[in-house]
Amino acid sequence: MADKSNDPVAMWQNMIGEMEKGFNSFANQAMSSPEFSKVMNQVGGVTAGAQKQLGEMMEKYLVSMNLPSRVQMIGMAERLQSIEGQLNEIKAMLTQMGKASGVPVGGASTSMPPRTKRPPSAEGGPK
Amino acid sequence: MNAPAPAALDFASISDRVQSEVQRAIQRSIKGVEYFNSSGPALGSTPKDVLASRGTMQLYHYRPMADEIYRVPILIVMATTNRGYILDMVSGQSFIEFLLKRGYDVYMLDWTAPKPEEKNLRMEDYVLDFIPDSVRRVQEDSGVEDVTVIGYCFGGVLSLLYGSIHHDGPMKNLICFTTPIDFREMKLFSNFSDRRYFDVDRLIDSVGNMPPELILQSFDMLRPASRAVGQIQLWDNIWNDEFVKSYRMFDRWANDILPLAGEYFRTTTKDLMWDNKLFNDTMTVGGKAAQLEKIKVPILHAVAEHDHIVPYDAAKHLIKKVGSTDKEEVILKGGHVSLVAGPNAIRRLWPKLDSWLGGRSI
Repeated sequence: MADKSNDPVAMWQNMIGEMEKGFNSFANQAMSSPEFSKVMNQVGGVTAGAQKQLGEMMEKYLVSMNLPSRVQMIGMAERLQSIEGQLNEIKAMLTQMGKASGVPVGGASTSMPPRTKRPPSAEGGPK
Repeated sequence: MNAPAPAALDFASISDRVQSEVQRAIQRSIKGVEYFNSSGPALGSTPKDVLASRGTMQLYHYRPMADEIYRVPILIVMATTNRGYILDMVSGQSFIEFLLKRGYDVYMLDWTAPKPEEKNLRMEDYVLDFIPDSVRRVQEDSGVEDVTVIGYCFGGVLSLLYGSIHHDGPMKNLICFTTPIDFREMKLFSNFSDRRYFDVDRLIDSVGNMPPELILQSFDMLRPASRAVGQIQLWDNIWNDEFVKSYRMFDRWANDILPLAGEYFRTTTKDLMWDNKLFNDTMTVGGKAAQLEKIKVPILHAVAEHDHIVPYDAAKHLIKKVGSTDKEEVILKGGHVSLVAGPNAIRRLWPKLDSWLGGRSI
């Protein structure tokens, strides 16, 4: 096998690793100052406000283009989620009923194995 | 003492190396095209049933994979910023599958993105409603009174809050992975949310829920060079199918950040980041005191040696502060994610957890 000290690929990978560490550590030092926090939060506050306004504008634009807006899509997703939720509730009820009556329902968690397992060390086997 | 002589140039090995690099370069071009034309592996596919789905809360029950299971079921509480499939990647690299094969009965409390009208969800909803409701459903479904709770990252914080308030049961064991309790020690997050400059009220009042992009950005800022280096490493290794598969799994998960409910984020910032109330024993949730010393159940805290998100200093006081007599902290090699998923976790955390929990699950 080639010596790592002569291997340009290994040297390249090592250099990238070292650069990553160095840059991260330098940036972390810079970001731990109160000045950084001040500037970041000023910029962040402006960006968040602008994003919200842009979102509202887009919403109006989509409505005028007779396209479903994000709110409408979310509404549809919610209705689907609520239907899914109700189906899950029904499924859970059926599973419970199946368990109580001993009739398997849909192949799901109906026949649970016995809760008798002991840890290997307690059985004298390897742990 | 003589310095070692520099290694002599071995022309045969250089020629092999050049040949291998040329082959890799060709493979990179072919696989690079494949990469953009294919989707990543299917994640979170261990068979499961949805036991309950209510707003942002999803409770799953995984189907058993052993002929005999331990008496005490496990409820995993996921971090509210991340998807639960980090613990259920692909077969052979799934923590859930590992637990099932070792004979545990596993449930998971996972989260979906809170909807705009769920912006009013508070810490109380998580600690005094979602978790207790899930525990009750696990008890009902399993027919067992005792439940082991496992919390990952902020899921660990929620589990601790739940455990300290519901200290009279039914939690039998508590396992926390990389759980912060001293928020002053999360130095960069602490600086980003400095109360002199970070107006959390203004932000939440204007956006409703905390946008996932901002959360992702703050995670990225902890290691600003790592994303670019990750891309370089991907290109370097794109000939290697296993590397690419693993990269895609973790990259997808790391970018799949959930928004946080506005009120919940406001409380997290004020009570935990600013006032460090969990560490100072002054935390209350819905008017109920949440003091760690009230937790008396057996507890295991697994922390990562190189965790850049939850540094050891932020997590190290947990074991000292809980009231349990049966308690253990285990420091393992790895980072915040590699502690729980991937080859490092398979070798280190998973077997440790199994050996700790088995005897306490009967």
